[in-house]
Amino acid sequence: MIIALIIIALLFIIGISFYNSLIGKKNQVTNAFSAIDVMLKKRFDLIPNLVEVVKQYTNYEQGTLTRIVELRAKATSGTLSDTEKAQLDSQLSSSVNGLMVNVENYPDLKANTNFINLQTTWTESEEQIAAARRTYNATVTEYNNAIMMFPGSIFAGMLNYQTVPVLETVADERKNISARDLFNN
Amino acid sequence: MSSTINTNVALQNVLAAMEVERKKIASAQTKGYIFIATGIVLGIVVFFLGFPIIGIISGLLPLVYGGILLYQINDELQAYKNSYKHDVIGAALKFLDQSLTIQPNIGIEVSEFMYTQLFNTEPDRYNTEDLVSGSSGQTKFYFAEVHAEYKTVTQTKNGTRTEWHDIFKGIIFAADFNKDFNGITIVRPKDFGSSLGAWFSKHIYSFGNKDVVQLENPDFSKTFVTYGSDQVEARYILTPSMMERILSLNNQSKYSISLSFVQSRMYIAFPLIRNYFEAPVFKSLLNPDALNDDSNAIRFMYDIVQELDLNTRIWGKR
Repeated sequence: MIIALIIIALLFIIGISFYNSLIGKKNQVTNAFSAIDVMLKKRFDLIPNLVEVVKQYTNYEQGTLTRIVELRAKATSGTLSDTEKAQLDSQLSSSVNGLMVNVENYPDLKANTNFINLQTTWTESEEQIAAARRTYNATVTEYNNAIMMFPGSIFAGMLNYQTVPVLETVADERKNISARDLFNN
Repeated sequence: MSSTINTNVALQNVLAAMEVERKKIASAQTKGYIFIATGIVLGIVVFFLGFPIIGIISGLLPLVYGGILLYQINDELQAYKNSYKHDVIGAALKFLDQSLTIQPNIGIEVSEFMYTQLFNTEPDRYNTEDLVSGSSGQTKFYFAEVHAEYKTVTQTKNGTRTEWHDIFKGIIFAADFNKDFNGITIVRPKDFGSSLGAWFSKHIYSFGNKDVVQLENPDFSKTFVTYGSDQVEARYILTPSMMERILSLNNQSKYSISLSFVQSRMYIAFPLIRNYFEAPVFKSLLNPDALNDDSNAIRFMYDIVQELDLNTRIWGKR
């Protein structure tokens, strides 16, 4: 009788710890996404300044600038889901990177200290976002493994936990492009 | 590099002058050792032939004379060793990059040794020398030889016995990292295979398991275990290309390396067995290969900055 009670108690404790670890992992996923969110916000804050500086020097990039401003407005509207926000950021990122490459046509802009600083901050934020996305993906993989493998799968079924998709990795790590390379093109 | 440095006229002149000094020291040392050996052998033979007092006296005389010879040459030996470091290693460094200098009597302080976070045992005996510093492009770096040991005292029948164990023996390399960060990230070898790797890993700083950073490069994860105080920051430092570069650097090193990233600086610990930058006494300085090991070591350290791409400064840090 006592042995049976001990076994039941033991199973109960093991069950609780599995249950708690699942919840912990799910919270980690949320937490990892909020890290991306912080980085994204930091990056969205850069855009108005970047647009202002570029506007002063160029007359031909209006289309790109308008698109960037629109994307930013959409991204910061607060109505987007996490995945949509991440997708929008990829689009925004490629637009701004396109703009950075076109800068070579505007020697005055290339020499502007404000622009150089913004450009460096932009690259830095890009690397930080890449890191945050990789952290998120690592957390998601851990969470997905936990809810798909036995015995976590039992609790996941009870709690109605679903697998979370990983984010697509950012296409290229900007390893060899330096500000100087861009300017000397 | 060795082939070109061996054709450097100024350095060859220095080496030729030092070779004369080396021969003098080598011959005095050989003479000293021969007298000491003769003294010991003579003393033992005569002692066992049944003349203990004559044995001790006849053994002691050459022994003392040998000792005096070695003592007399010691100052010159020290001067010769210092001059080798200043003039020969110094020239080899300048040959590679004008910014490089060597300070033979300075190294990496014990406080900095602990600050690297790579070792968790406080050393009881600590030796450091041959601080080489300079820069490659925009990146400042320095490295020095370090030998850190701890002691264990065991009780035996005849009292206590003290034993010394290595915490680390090799070169510690430090460079200004090209990104700003506030936390701590540590990369330590996973391989416990080689005996050296085993003691190395044993004494390395260890965090709790929750701080392990699971990285996506399978080769990297197979070779190293990564710990970090901030998961995102660890990945900001260890980008996919940085992981590849660290792996390639590790492949070029005989023993597994350890790395730490602390307060915008990176440290790399290279375990080594031999002592570098020491003047040869019984080998000719004029031998074309004499400088090879030292110059290769310098070149290897200098190239780390390129190898890890630390001169790419596009992330806000200048």
